[in-house]
Amino acid sequence: MGSVSAAPDGAAVYQAQCASCHGPRGEGVAGKSDEPLRGKRSVESLTRYIDRNMPEDEPEKCVGEDAAAVAAWIYGAFYGPDAQTKDAPRIQLSHLTREQYRQSVADLFGSFGGRPGPFAGGGLEGKYFNAEKMEQHKEHLLDRVDPSVVLDAGILAAVPKLKPDSFSVTWSGSLFAPESGDYGIRAVTQNGVRVFLNALPWREGREEVPVIDGWVSRGDEPRAEETRITLTGGRAYPLRIQFLAYGQKSASLKFEWKPPGGVWETVPTANLSKQWAPTAAVVSTAFPPDDSSHGYERGIAVNREWLDAVVAAAADLAEFASQQADALAGTKPNAPDRVEKLRNFCTAFAERAYRRPADDVLRAAVAKEFDGQAPDVAVRKTVIRVLCSPRFLYPAPPSDPADGFTAATHLALALWDSLPDEPLRKAAAEGQLKTREQIEAQARRMLDDPRTRHKLNGFFHRWLAIGSSERIAKDAKTYPDFSERLIADLLQSLELFVSDVVWTGNSDYRNLLLADYLYANPRMAAYYGLPPVEGEGFAKVTPPPGQRSGVLTHPYLLASLSYFKSTSPIHRGVFVTRSVLGRYLKPPPMAIEFMDDRFDPTLTMREKVTQLTNKPACMSCHEVINPLGFSLEHFDATGRWRDTDSGKPVDAKGTYTTTGGETVNLTGPRDLAAHAAASRDASEGFVMQLFQHTAKQAPQAFGPDTLAKTHDAFTADSYHIRNLLARIATTAAMPTPATP
Amino acid sequence: MIPLTRRRLLRNLGLSAAALPFAGSLRAADAPAPKRRVIFVFSPNGTVPDEFWPDANGEGFAFKRILEPLQPFRDRTLLLKGISNQVRGDGDGHMRGMSCMLTGIELFPGNIQGGSDTPAGWASGLSIDQEIRNHLQANPATATRAGSLCLGVSVPNRADPWTRWAYAGPNQPLTPIDDPARVFQSLYGGVKDRETLGSVLDGVSAELRDFAAKASAADRELLDRHLTHVRELEQKLRQADTGAQRHPVPPPDPKLELVNDRIPDISRAQIGLLVGAFANDDARVATLQYTNSVGQARMTWLGIPDAHHTLSHDPDHAKESHEKLVKINTWFAGEIAHLAQRLASIPEADGNGNLLDNTTIVWTNELGKGNSHSQDNIPFVLVGGGLGFKTGRCLDLGGAPHNRLWLAIAHGIGHPITKFGNAALCKDGPLPLAS
Repeated sequence: MGSVSAAPDGAAVYQAQCASCHGPRGEGVAGKSDEPLRGKRSVESLTRYIDRNMPEDEPEKCVGEDAAAVAAWIYGAFYGPDAQTKDAPRIQLSHLTREQYRQSVADLFGSFGGRPGPFAGGGLEGKYFNAEKMEQHKEHLLDRVDPSVVLDAGILAAVPKLKPDSFSVTWSGSLFAPESGDYGIRAVTQNGVRVFLNALPWREGREEVPVIDGWVSRGDEPRAEETRITLTGGRAYPLRIQFLAYGQKSASLKFEWKPPGGVWETVPTANLSKQWAPTAAVVSTAFPPDDSSHGYERGIAVNREWLDAVVAAAADLAEFASQQADALAGTKPNAPDRVEKLRNFCTAFAERAYRRPADDVLRAAVAKEFDGQAPDVAVRKTVIRVLCSPRFLYPAPPSDPADGFTAATHLALALWDSLPDEPLRKAAAEGQLKTREQIEAQARRMLDDPRTRHKLNGFFHRWLAIGSSERIAKDAKTYPDFSERLIADLLQSLELFVSDVVWTGNSDYRNLLLADYLYANPRMAAYYGLPPVEGEGFAKVTPPPGQRSGVLTHPYLLASLSYFKSTSPIHRGVFVTRSVLGRYLKPPPMAIEFMDDRFDPTLTMREKVTQLTNKPACMSCHEVINPLGFSLEHFDATGRWRDTDSGKPVDAKGTYTTTGGETVNLTGPRDLAAHAAASRDASEGFVMQLFQHTAKQAPQAFGPDTLAKTHDAFTADSYHIRNLLARIATTAAMPTPATP
Repeated sequence: MIPLTRRRLLRNLGLSAAALPFAGSLRAADAPAPKRRVIFVFSPNGTVPDEFWPDANGEGFAFKRILEPLQPFRDRTLLLKGISNQVRGDGDGHMRGMSCMLTGIELFPGNIQGGSDTPAGWASGLSIDQEIRNHLQANPATATRAGSLCLGVSVPNRADPWTRWAYAGPNQPLTPIDDPARVFQSLYGGVKDRETLGSVLDGVSAELRDFAAKASAADRELLDRHLTHVRELEQKLRQADTGAQRHPVPPPDPKLELVNDRIPDISRAQIGLLVGAFANDDARVATLQYTNSVGQARMTWLGIPDAHHTLSHDPDHAKESHEKLVKINTWFAGEIAHLAQRLASIPEADGNGNLLDNTTIVWTNELGKGNSHSQDNIPFVLVGGGLGFKTGRCLDLGGAPHNRLWLAIAHGIGHPITKFGNAALCKDGPLPLAS
């Protein structure tokens, strides 16, 4: 390397002009530029960027050759991929996240009982009887599957021979909880009703306890018998509802729920099944939120609240275990081998929780609990002990051997947020989890499981920034028909769409962005001017050409990325930049609140945003953000198509500059989607985010080229999302060289 | 599932700021006046009048067979004949007998149909035990940690007017806890959980140290923080254990199954917990409900495999059934005697005699007689002291409404109300039981 010319010294320019904000080695400076200078732009792209934008306050100070020299130097010193390898992220010890804890506990206890078949919605089995005096089941009238638990005069008139003033109904089956959290459950009736949901099963000396006992009416006064119950998502729970109308003027019933973040509604048919489901161990203890400072949740926050929750949950679950001890251990109260069975249960409980076969030390520890202590006390203590143990709480620590059990642990966490199931444990024990092929075969088997769907659903919630719909509130004067109910519909529509793309057909990521259809029910179709939908449920509809394109134009997202009364091109643009196009944006240099009433009311939103962000300090980011946001200006604050804004035609045109410096002309939503679907930054960002959500580690922790290799395989595989998920899980489960 | 109804463990452990202080510390520092307490006991399906009521009233009365077990407490017993439940309205005799007993007020109309009469719902007012409880809790000098206990023995897990007799208000039946383990857990669970956790956390600390030793330096930092918090929790548990009960209450036998044949053991366990709670001044009011109205206990331990309510319908001339019903009711009397004996065996912490001196047991039934469903001459057996009643006698009150007995008990407690339940039934004021 001959440096005879007067070419500028990149290192010197950097230290003089850049280091005060970015730190001497690009590590960042708190309060100035927090984010480390690590990235994936090319030297050329970096040069262009620095030339145009840096230093932020005086971009003209570092241009031309200086910019090129700085770019080349930082690229080699710390910015580029080879430089990054030198201080690559490592696989970090972390505890179970909240969701991993809930799912692991459900499967840990569930592994000692029967597993239900795949959940198939369709309604509950209803048995109808005429009652007489004290006999509820005097005359059996009929059995049928009811799509929902609703009774009214019309429905009752259709049951032959039913005596409207003295009859009873029992519905049974299971209820599927899509998400983890607190569910409101209520029965609205003027009659008698009992609801058993996830009740401990009957055994000698213990009757089932209803979550709602509203058996006794209050004259003919209608009541809403209501309760809350915590459920773990992606699972079905046993449900039985008893109803009695006797000597009253009328009879009616509505069985409703309010899922986390949702609204009160009749429990949908898709969430009710006549199939049995076992009683599950549910964690009702509130855990503190997990650390998500890296953009994904992982268990790296250890504090007092977390430990309190761990201990409280362990004690609650010990109570569950002691209530269920005989059933879990497969024994009976007076069986001669009861103690032995309970001890075997405790050993198996520990080894499944620790994801590794019991060694002599563990066996001895369990045996010691049973020594000189009532066996039921020993069960309680063992359960608490195991659930408080670091071996349960910190799965697959880097110090564990890189063997099949570790691989099984990683696979189960990656795809299910849970513990290895029986086939995984067996494969590990038989040495069948060593090669990439063996591990990938297990990953593919595991894809077809409601837990995988639940995990992936969690990713899409994160990727699409889906929070609780309660946050989407709009001005009732401007948007009178935009109801809570409609917001819940939008969420369901978005989830149906994503699930349709991911779980059917070729699972092509690009369809998430390019699809010209969406799911709508009649309420949505009416509000958004979509083609009419028959019946009450959701159906695929295709809006007028050129208007909609995949998730980017889904009204749920457009409404959530808007203000109370007006659109927000900035929120929409930032979302597209960061989440969809995978670009880094630094936090705004100053916090500026958008105050609508400060602007001339005749201006369009586009004109207001342009005025607001026209300072050079703003434009380094907003020249990227604004055109992306403007391209969605045809959608109002509720995501409805519009042609005018403030009485002027909407202008959705703009020019977007990629990280590589190419310019893209946008005329509206479909151009934006087409660019995103073809953008390498976008698909790499998608892979990166899915990797992080799945493995709860940075991809670089598995090798410097992990992200690039995973992305290459993804594009070579026609952007197949399910295959990508299996590949990520496999990568996370493959043995990695021991860290020093 | 159970965890939902359980409060967060740490609150149960008494480690949170909101937890109440332990055992009786709410009591005023110098409380020379004797405490006044009352226990309402229910047994179902009427009694057997010819073997229950003494042949003569007054102080010279003699117990018949059914009350024979109370002989040791004859001088502390007040037997009240001629009291009737005059509350009418919706519901059959059993329902009204049960849900109007402690409430003294009509049932709401509803959908629950009995064997006769009109269907009905819940009682339209609160029960006397809760009236007294609210009165005692309103005064810091008489308030206790639990206020009142609502206990049961073999109560079916179904809420209707036959299975509930205590009410916190109109349409608000209270569920009797019939599992001694749950009673213990709610009263003293914190202590037991602290012991268990203390021993478990010790092991967790050792394991964490091992675990940390194998971890990389960067990961160790996380585990060290974990260990610090475990140690803090251990320390808190040790500190919380210094406030022990004055009168230690052992946990019930964990093997005790809640089945028909274990009713005698469940009964004794509940009595033990009730007496323990009174001894520790955790409560001054209690209800204890044996089965339910129309209860079908099969007293196999007495050699009686028949169901109680079914037996109670047999006609008077059915000698065998009559004999069995006498035995059943005698067994209940034995449990009352045991309760009285346990109370008498414990001296008051404040020096005012023993617990029975300051506690009145009120044993009653929803019916006077099973096969007639009569609500006249309902058996009322009062044992103990503290309310200023003159004991050691049998009185015939000539058909007085039972509301007047509740007024007398409220007055005895120091709560001189003039009406309770149906006001029309209170017009003659509290029954005069002092002399």
